Amino acid sequence: MLIPGKSVSQLSRFFSVLFFLLSFSYSSTAQENYRDTRISVDFRSISLEDVLNNISEQSGVSFSYNPRKILGDQKITYKASENTIAEIIDALSLIASFDYETVEGKIILKPKEKSAEQLKATLSGFIKDSSNGEALIGASVWVEELKVGTTSNVFGFYSLTIPSGKYDVTFSYIGFNREVTNIDLQTSQSHNTSLQVAPALLKEITVTSIEPQLANEIQVSKTNLRPATISEKPSFFGEPDAVKSLEIVPGVKMHSDGSTFYYVRGGDRDQNMILMDDAPIFNPSHLLGLFSTIIPDAVNGITLYKGSMPASLGGRLSSIMDVRTRKGNDQQFEISGNMALLSSKLSLEGPIKKGKSSFLLSSRVSRVKWIFEQFNDDIKNFQFHDLTGKVNFDFNQQNKLYFSFYNGGDKFLTSNNGIAWSNRATTVRWNHVFSERLFLNTTLAGGVYDYFLHTDRSTQTQWTSHLSNVNLKGDFSYFINPNEEFDFGLSIGGYNFNPGNVSRNGNTIPPVVSVKNSSEFVLYGNHEIRLSNHWGLNYGLRISTWTNEGEAFEFVFDDNHNPVDTLFFKKGDKYKSYQNFEPRISVSYNLNDNSSFKVSAARNVQNIHLITNSISPFSSFEVWLPSSLNIKPQTANQLVFGYHHYIPNTRLSFEVESFYKKMKNQIDYKAHAETLLNPLLEGELFFGEAQGYGIEFQMKKEEGRLRSWVGYSYSRAKRKFSDLNNGREFNAFYDRPHQLSITLSYDLNSRWNVGMNWNYYTGAPYSSPISYYNFNGLEIPVYGQKNNDRLPDYHRLDLSATLNLNKNAESRFKHNLMFSIYNFYARKNALFINYNKTEQQEGGFKIPSNLLDREVVSTQFYLFQFTPSIAYNFKWR
Amino acid sequence: MNRFAIYLMLLILFSCEERIGDPLKAIDSDLLIVEAVLTNEKMSHKIKLSHPYQELNGNDMPASGANVVVIEGNKKVYNAVEFPQGSGNYYTDEMTAVFGKQYLLFIQYAGKDFFAVAGSVPVEPMAELQYHKAGGGLYQLQLNDYGESPNYIDYHVSWPGTPECQTKALCEGRLIYYDLKTIDVNSLFKPDKEDFLFPVNSIIIRRKYSVSPDYKTYLRSVLSETEWRGGIFDVQRENVPTDLSNGAVGFFAVSTVLSDTTIITEKP
Repeated sequence: MLIPGKSVSQLSRFFSVLFFLLSFSYSSTAQENYRDTRISVDFRSISLEDVLNNISEQSGVSFSYNPRKILGDQKITYKASENTIAEIIDALSLIASFDYETVEGKIILKPKEKSAEQLKATLSGFIKDSSNGEALIGASVWVEELKVGTTSNVFGFYSLTIPSGKYDVTFSYIGFNREVTNIDLQTSQSHNTSLQVAPALLKEITVTSIEPQLANEIQVSKTNLRPATISEKPSFFGEPDAVKSLEIVPGVKMHSDGSTFYYVRGGDRDQNMILMDDAPIFNPSHLLGLFSTIIPDAVNGITLYKGSMPASLGGRLSSIMDVRTRKGNDQQFEISGNMALLSSKLSLEGPIKKGKSSFLLSSRVSRVKWIFEQFNDDIKNFQFHDLTGKVNFDFNQQNKLYFSFYNGGDKFLTSNNGIAWSNRATTVRWNHVFSERLFLNTTLAGGVYDYFLHTDRSTQTQWTSHLSNVNLKGDFSYFINPNEEFDFGLSIGGYNFNPGNVSRNGNTIPPVVSVKNSSEFVLYGNHEIRLSNHWGLNYGLRISTWTNEGEAFEFVFDDNHNPVDTLFFKKGDKYKSYQNFEPRISVSYNLNDNSSFKVSAARNVQNIHLITNSISPFSSFEVWLPSSLNIKPQTANQLVFGYHHYIPNTRLSFEVESFYKKMKNQIDYKAHAETLLNPLLEGELFFGEAQGYGIEFQMKKEEGRLRSWVGYSYSRAKRKFSDLNNGREFNAFYDRPHQLSITLSYDLNSRWNVGMNWNYYTGAPYSSPISYYNFNGLEIPVYGQKNNDRLPDYHRLDLSATLNLNKNAESRFKHNLMFSIYNFYARKNALFINYNKTEQQEGGFKIPSNLLDREVVSTQFYLFQFTPSIAYNFKWR
Repeated sequence: MNRFAIYLMLLILFSCEERIGDPLKAIDSDLLIVEAVLTNEKMSHKIKLSHPYQELNGNDMPASGANVVVIEGNKKVYNAVEFPQGSGNYYTDEMTAVFGKQYLLFIQYAGKDFFAVAGSVPVEPMAELQYHKAGGGLYQLQLNDYGESPNYIDYHVSWPGTPECQTKALCEGRLIYYDLKTIDVNSLFKPDKEDFLFPVNSIIIRRKYSVSPDYKTYLRSVLSETEWRGGIFDVQRENVPTDLSNGAVGFFAVSTVLSDTTIITEKP
């Protein structure tokens, strides 16, 4: 990320002006002690000539220079408060690249003997958390004298190329004490920094915010979610949840209670990707979706891109959630854990070699089996688990190696049947610093997702679907100067899809659904440049080639979706290929240090597609298919306008973004499509267009005793398919125009923290019957327009209170109790409305069985009313 | 216990269902509904024509005054006559719809022509009727999939001469067990169904219907919108398909039928 500094380009000189200035010199009654005179200045894009005039007027110092050699019209941005003239002239000499000397009380400016480029040096290094050695992602590096800076990347690495000289360099990160280091940068050098966590109640006064710099970031539609923000939000059953925390981000719409499904800017749920250390997590849910797989304890940082993502990222139309796991404490051993109502967590981490290498092992296991055993004594296995691990080796300043893995799954089995699913992800990463300016990250990452429906465990009869991916990529970052960065790289990956087959004793039994294999090659480049104090430009191109390979068979369908031919492909046959160009561009205009306008346009392509006509919020029977003969890549073109503003005094940041997204080759389904065990599955699909548009507002304050996220969005999600709704446009079922989210956290004192979270969504669309008829004794609904109706609006208030059990803040053993209430006012948020059940005398509703005596009623189904919980968290180091 | 009840139990602890006011956004419609299932039984087959109704538990609005004809293999023509007049129920001449022949249903109504074509597939034998004592001295059918082909069994249960009938307003019942041989999430996790109980000495007449591929598609959609609707893995709501032309809905099917009769006897 680039932060604006002085203008990099020097304007051409106009000789007419030069001649006029040729004999011009400043003279005044200079005082011998001018160097100690203190003045205050605030120059914003003012010519050097005017700067010198101003100083001269304030101090009486006179200047003289040759305008042929010193550019009087070069723009200067510089601020000083009660600095000596000597300090100011020193700083200006660096900014405007001149030397000077005092002759008879006059300051004579001279061109530098060497070019400015020759005198530049690069400061680079890693920024860490001093307590555990974790990389601080997005930490700020700021050189006040030059008004330039940068931020650290996802590995904590930064690089800043500036004129040689002595500087006070400020390193800061939200929630940490800032550190100011005086660095004599005569030649390029590395400088690693460890920042200390700020004491909780002192955060208000000790922390320097990075928000003004984020306001000046060229990137749009990007949200950083800190693990601390997630952890202090009221949580469901005491389980902080990274995926569900996305509900505080405007433009992200959660499906409903008990679900990890989310929808971004009018896109369907399969258009969102979750990457954990670059490995995809295809199904981030536990217990159908009550919890997500991502535990904040093991997370170092989360970045959500809602559009116009960097060219290094792609593969989804709507969003990418980039999760970076912690590498483990490289300073000391640490054990932390949690006991909540439904699960327990335990993490162990520590140095393998202090300051050089460390490990992290974090696990979570459910404790729900005993609850369900009360209902069914045939339960054999009923649990979910997560295991995250990471090992890293810091060989030297140039080379770091990381290995991380994730293994999570759910099993709900009786003696003879049940379901199970699992996610596995593994990443090996090598960071190499070629030079102070060139950084390489090489990643080998893989993800596997399996789903099992066991129908007869005695014969090992099961329905299984599978999706796996392995990817090798190299990401280069070249930090040209503080105002310019070039990222480029390539990746090659492979996918394996099993859209669901039944096997008995390990042998597949008919009907057989074709397993498919695909490969993807990606090349990208991204250039970010600060053109001036005001203008910034970020543009990039991602070129992807998607290829389907045998062994596989594919059906050819006619216009009526009837199969007319079957094509068989041998192993290794490349039978279909798509090449896609995904350009993107963002332009920003900074009004000042704290506010900016941005505009962005981007095209995204997606080659893997979730096939499900379920409207359930719960995770089940997920089938994925690749782009191939019958499915073209989904594409999206998105345009974003944004305004970002930071108010320093209040530490509030405010942003508003409006967007328009047009999506093609969208997938919908025939009425009651057969998506399981259907070899002709692709014949069940319809293809059409979708669009999303809207405006999002967000205000947040992440520092101080009172912290808050407030977001509102008005957005629409529409779909249009020639084969559906008589070809007329209809609301997607995730079209929920109004969304309001308020999250507050307040430190009452050093021991108590209270929090609240309130969410509101317009009700989700659904098709309600407009009339009925009977057939075979069943009352069959007739629908009119698709999604003609809406469920009642959704809203919910959650509260939390956290008691720090330590009286001594310096204690090595820290523990707290978190009390949460989910849905405090017990709102009945409907998931479904049904019209086909009979009320039972003993309570409850069932489908009537006697067709001669049926009296059905309308019902609504909902989850979780007032749900209190308590969790105990501890940490020892 | 339902083999997938384990899944549902996950939500038992947290979920709730309650009655709400009917939110139906009804729209009047002159849609023609056709319900016609011809079988291999020699009889006058009923063809029901109606219009949709606008509230739950409503009654079909008869479509009266139509001309209805069934044509067997482009040769034999069977006229269907409305009886009683104004009922919307049309009865064919006595006929048998047999396997191997195609049948055309032709309807003229309100100035429009509607038609559909169907044929039957063979039916597999039925398994022996299974039932067990369910408590309170009443019995319950044990319903299981059987055979290889899609089918459904229509159970008509009556107990007019039993002591229990004196306290019951209705001494008969009808239930249908669908065995379509599909794997559908909403079917696997369909909502609970009421228990259907009957006393000893009840008479059960079973009629097993074969189901052609088109009829199976239709019935699968019907079930998705009726008995399978309301579970935790619901699918998108859609109108059920039809084999009728010109905008009519419903279905014209031809099935092969087997039937038997059983009197429920005392079981321990």
